Amino acid sequence: MSTPLLEVRDVTAGFGATTVLHGVSFDVPEGSIAGIFGLNGAGKSVTMKVLGGSVPARSGSVLFRGEDVTSLSPEKRVGLGMGHVPQGRQVFPQLTVEENLRLGAYTLRRKDKKRYGPALDGVFDRFPILAERRKQAAGTMSGGQQASLAVARALVNEPSLILVDEPSAGLSPVATLELDAVLQSVAQTGVTMVLVEQNIAFGLSLVDTAHLMQTGVVVHSSPVADLDSDTLATHLGIGKVLQAATGRALSARQDVPTPRGGSRAGRRAS
Amino acid sequence: MGQVLVLGLISGGIYALFALGVVMVYRGTGVLTFAQGEIGTAALFLAAFLVTDKGLPWFVGAAAALAFAVVIGCLFEFVVVRRMVGSDPVSVAVATVGLGLFLLAIEFRIFGDSPKALEGPFSGGVTIAGVFVTPTQIAALVVALALGFGLQAVLRRTDFGLGILAAAQDPAATRLVGVPLSKITLTVWGAGAALSAVAALLVEPTVGVFQPGYASELFVVGLAAAVIGGLTSLPGAVYGGILVGVAESAATRYLGDYNISGLRYLVVLVILLIALLGRQFWPQISALLRAADAGSKPTTTTPAGASA
Amino acid sequence: MTATTLAPRPVQTEQPDEVPTRRRRLPVPGVLIALVLAVVLPLLGGSTGALSDKNALLLSIACTYAMAGISLNVLMGYAGQISLGQFAFVGAGAFTVGIVTSVDQLRLPWIVGVVLAAAAGALLAFLVGLPALRLRGLYLAVVTVSVAYAAWQSLFRIEVIGGGSAGKVIPKPYIGNSAITSDSGILVLAFLALILVWQVDVNLTRSRLGRAFQAVKADEAVAASFGIDVARYKLLAFSISGAMAGIGGAIYATALGTVTGGAFDYARSLLLVVIVIIGGLGSRWGVVTASFFAVLLPDILIALFGTGFRGIDLILNAGLLMYTIARHPGGFAGAIEESREKRARRKGGEPPLPPTRPSLPALTRPRGMPPVPQLRSGVPVLQASGVSVRFGGLQAVDNAGLRVDRGTIVGLMGPNGAGKTTLFNAITGALSPDSGRIELLGVDVSALPTHRRTALGMSRTFQLIGLAKGQSVYENLLIAQHLAAPYGVASALTGLGPSRSYERDVRRRADEVLAGLGFGRYRDTMVGRLSHGQQRIVEIGCALVTSPELVMLDEPSAGMSPAAAEDLAATLRDMRDVLGRTVLLIEHNVPLVLDVSDELYVMDAGRVIANGEPVEVVTRPEVVTAYLGAAPSHEGASA
Repeated sequence: MSTPLLEVRDVTAGFGATTVLHGVSFDVPEGSIAGIFGLNGAGKSVTMKVLGGSVPARSGSVLFRGEDVTSLSPEKRVGLGMGHVPQGRQVFPQLTVEENLRLGAYTLRRKDKKRYGPALDGVFDRFPILAERRKQAAGTMSGGQQASLAVARALVNEPSLILVDEPSAGLSPVATLELDAVLQSVAQTGVTMVLVEQNIAFGLSLVDTAHLMQTGVVVHSSPVADLDSDTLATHLGIGKVLQAATGRALSARQDVPTPRGGSRAGRRAS
Repeated sequence: MGQVLVLGLISGGIYALFALGVVMVYRGTGVLTFAQGEIGTAALFLAAFLVTDKGLPWFVGAAAALAFAVVIGCLFEFVVVRRMVGSDPVSVAVATVGLGLFLLAIEFRIFGDSPKALEGPFSGGVTIAGVFVTPTQIAALVVALALGFGLQAVLRRTDFGLGILAAAQDPAATRLVGVPLSKITLTVWGAGAALSAVAALLVEPTVGVFQPGYASELFVVGLAAAVIGGLTSLPGAVYGGILVGVAESAATRYLGDYNISGLRYLVVLVILLIALLGRQFWPQISALLRAADAGSKPTTTTPAGASA
Repeated sequence: MTATTLAPRPVQTEQPDEVPTRRRRLPVPGVLIALVLAVVLPLLGGSTGALSDKNALLLSIACTYAMAGISLNVLMGYAGQISLGQFAFVGAGAFTVGIVTSVDQLRLPWIVGVVLAAAAGALLAFLVGLPALRLRGLYLAVVTVSVAYAAWQSLFRIEVIGGGSAGKVIPKPYIGNSAITSDSGILVLAFLALILVWQVDVNLTRSRLGRAFQAVKADEAVAASFGIDVARYKLLAFSISGAMAGIGGAIYATALGTVTGGAFDYARSLLLVVIVIIGGLGSRWGVVTASFFAVLLPDILIALFGTGFRGIDLILNAGLLMYTIARHPGGFAGAIEESREKRARRKGGEPPLPPTRPSLPALTRPRGMPPVPQLRSGVPVLQASGVSVRFGGLQAVDNAGLRVDRGTIVGLMGPNGAGKTTLFNAITGALSPDSGRIELLGVDVSALPTHRRTALGMSRTFQLIGLAKGQSVYENLLIAQHLAAPYGVASALTGLGPSRSYERDVRRRADEVLAGLGFGRYRDTMVGRLSHGQQRIVEIGCALVTSPELVMLDEPSAGMSPAAAEDLAATLRDMRDVLGRTVLLIEHNVPLVLDVSDELYVMDAGRVIANGEPVEVVTRPEVVTAYLGAAPSHEGASA
């Protein structure tokens, strides 16, 4: 098997006197979609921040394409091909859609300005709403549209890996639907993704592999197809009581029309 | 009236130039700088040394002064600000107080407190509304307007400029799109310092002589102007500067009878407080206005009680 | 003996503190120093003495800077309010003494002038403090620098105040019938004034006043939750600071004999900032040392290295400021403290960890606080109804309500962003809801500010730890008892009157809680240095120290290890069963909530979606959906 696109090796991290991550390890093979799930305080978001470089790892390492990026700045990592859809979307509210996208392609434009035009066209094709509103200030758009912009801003830089942090948080049900469509369509492109999501049912419908976290460690990793409600409930640490509920979350996933089960071929074909 | 306006525009242009530097730094870093004025004075000393003492042309001296200011700004960012990542903006602001005093002390040490002179680049002048206006005074206003709107355009048209705008809105997200934040802050501190040198160079010919601390006194008014202009908008800084300039000249004209030379600054203080507190209380004020507007319409109260 | 450890389980044996971590103050009374100075200095002075007039004057000036430094330290070091315009208050004092002692119609005695100078400084500072109620940080910096500039450019140049270009001549002070004419005589007065200001500052820091300032500096919402009226204490901090600066100004004017408006140049205010930062924010002796250093340095440099070093002092000081703030934010005093701690750590190693399973101290309601009212049967401890809070476009809390009966633990859970903490804040008064009614112990508190609600018998903890992190565990336990020691400002500043016995009370209670929690060793440890779980326990101790009826905990298990969370469950049950407290609990840890709660409320998207018997509630479909989320329905998407 070739080297995974992203390898996380025994990472610890924290703030001040508090250690949040106590040795997190997992791999993300090229072309796959990995989900990190856990309850509040499990360390999902801090893991994401360590991957992106905005929280330093205290020990352990992060390898991207086999290269150790643990001590690289966030912007350097972006230049290497890691893209972000940050928590809360974090579009630049006072800039227009077009300006947001142009900033998204900052490292691409520095490498080769000519690639920006086609990349932008590609993004506009995928998100016609953004093409329509290219002159509008991002802050005045709806939550769902901002989510599309955040995803587009990451895609326009032509990354090989996208880190998506809690995309559904704070979105209305309608906007969550829009977002789901967006992420499904991104998944079709074959780009590698790491997704952190607290809406577990929503997250499970998108990913191939689930990494379940509890108090700062990955306690269980398996293909989504192999997950059952028992495992899910136990490893999320929500106890027996909500087991019935996790069962429902899993079955909701099976209702999703797109065929899944880790088969990339199936997804690409659809 | 016309006289008040002309005098106000003259000083307003200068205040606007100082305000632009403040806004530039604030936009890019979220920090208010108190060293702006003294960077200008320091640059002025270099220009005076080259032009008055060494006999070089004004433009050469001015260019050297600009470069010198940029070096001061960038050095400060590199040596001090960079080591304060994670500190709150107030601490960095206090550090700029240190920079201002540091430059002031060096100026005193080298030049003492006897006034220095720097001949302006142009001579002559025109009389507008009974006020003799020199070319540098016009230049100050024109440059302030040009920089206020020109820089705004640069910020919006270039990738790097957009990065500066983004950095102020969300520094974390700015790094996550791949913009090198450290280059942005370095540039912003350098540009802010350059703007204070421009301000100092253009105001000096109006008075003719200067001494250590000279530009800092004008800068305090410029700082107020920047805050009045909203702190985040470059054109706002220009408007703020002009507003303060005109208000001051009106105060001097109409309160002049009280023979209090400094009274005009009280006017600036009052405008500053109104601007600041007005913004703070705006939600309440607008709520009151809305309530008054709603008039007799009864407010619908939600039925009490827990939903369970 | 009111303290009893009530835990059914054996508590870890608490060893007496072997390592005295607290520095003992030298008990040299200020009065004694003052007497010695009063005798010795004049003898040194005069043409024959060792103390030349020039040096005596210089020392007097140093004393005034020290007073101004202490005054700025009250604002910046204790209360966390930045002032770049402190010399305006000094000037107000200087010109006040000038006016009242020299104007023909008045010619008041000098000592009266000093008192009025303090009043003038306090008044000006109070006025500057008013905008500070709304403005913080950089905006406050701009306002204060502008005030200093306006005072210098405008106020002090007004003929009647500043005496115009000739300046104001201050007559030599009379004490009784004898005029004090020599510089060394005035130096005695300056020292006396400095000792007075120093002592007031000492009293301040040992009183509820100083603690309230520290709490306001740490976090205004936290301060309010301890019953501190934030606006009042900010204004008090400004006024006291202004009074101290005013006294300094009076001495300054007296020592110089003549003052002009130009002497109160706003750059001097900035120099004071340099002094306070270099000396160390919050450190009295650090600031006084830095003041003498700053004033005497020029002459020392010249004496040591010759006149070539004229003007080097300010370069040094300004450079030191930048170095200090970037490298050692604690200043000179902080750096010494750090190295001492490092040494202690090398010697003794890390102290053992305190237990995560504290036994809670049972305390009676402090005498300074109104007793918790007796409730008629059927009246709940807390009843919130119809609470709605809107933030811009987001309906954070939507017509939510809950009821908490005496002696129960009520859980409140829901996904992120459900509005739990917002509802909490509406209940405590940290924010005012758009609509809704809050009844605490049968009293409608909807219109009362947080500190009044706290006084009724409510306390809370915060999601991100509501403690003054820069203060010691002990100091935090004292801050938490703000309402338990209701003595006045005068008593606090003089250290006389009721403050003595109240302080004894609150200190005893703090010690009892420390012993109960098993935190005796950590008495003087800065809270920020403790682990998250330990901070949480200290916070719970603070919430219990005034024996409130209702204790509201916001995610107490956040960041705790599973083992610690289990201990927490036992602690919570002790609160209810042993101490008889009523508890409202926001918690994400589902097993924990189910374990301890008598009743459970679940919120989602601002609404209370379910309540009732905990284990039953969490199995309801709407709760499950709220908690785990629902997969988007694709039939809906295509529609």
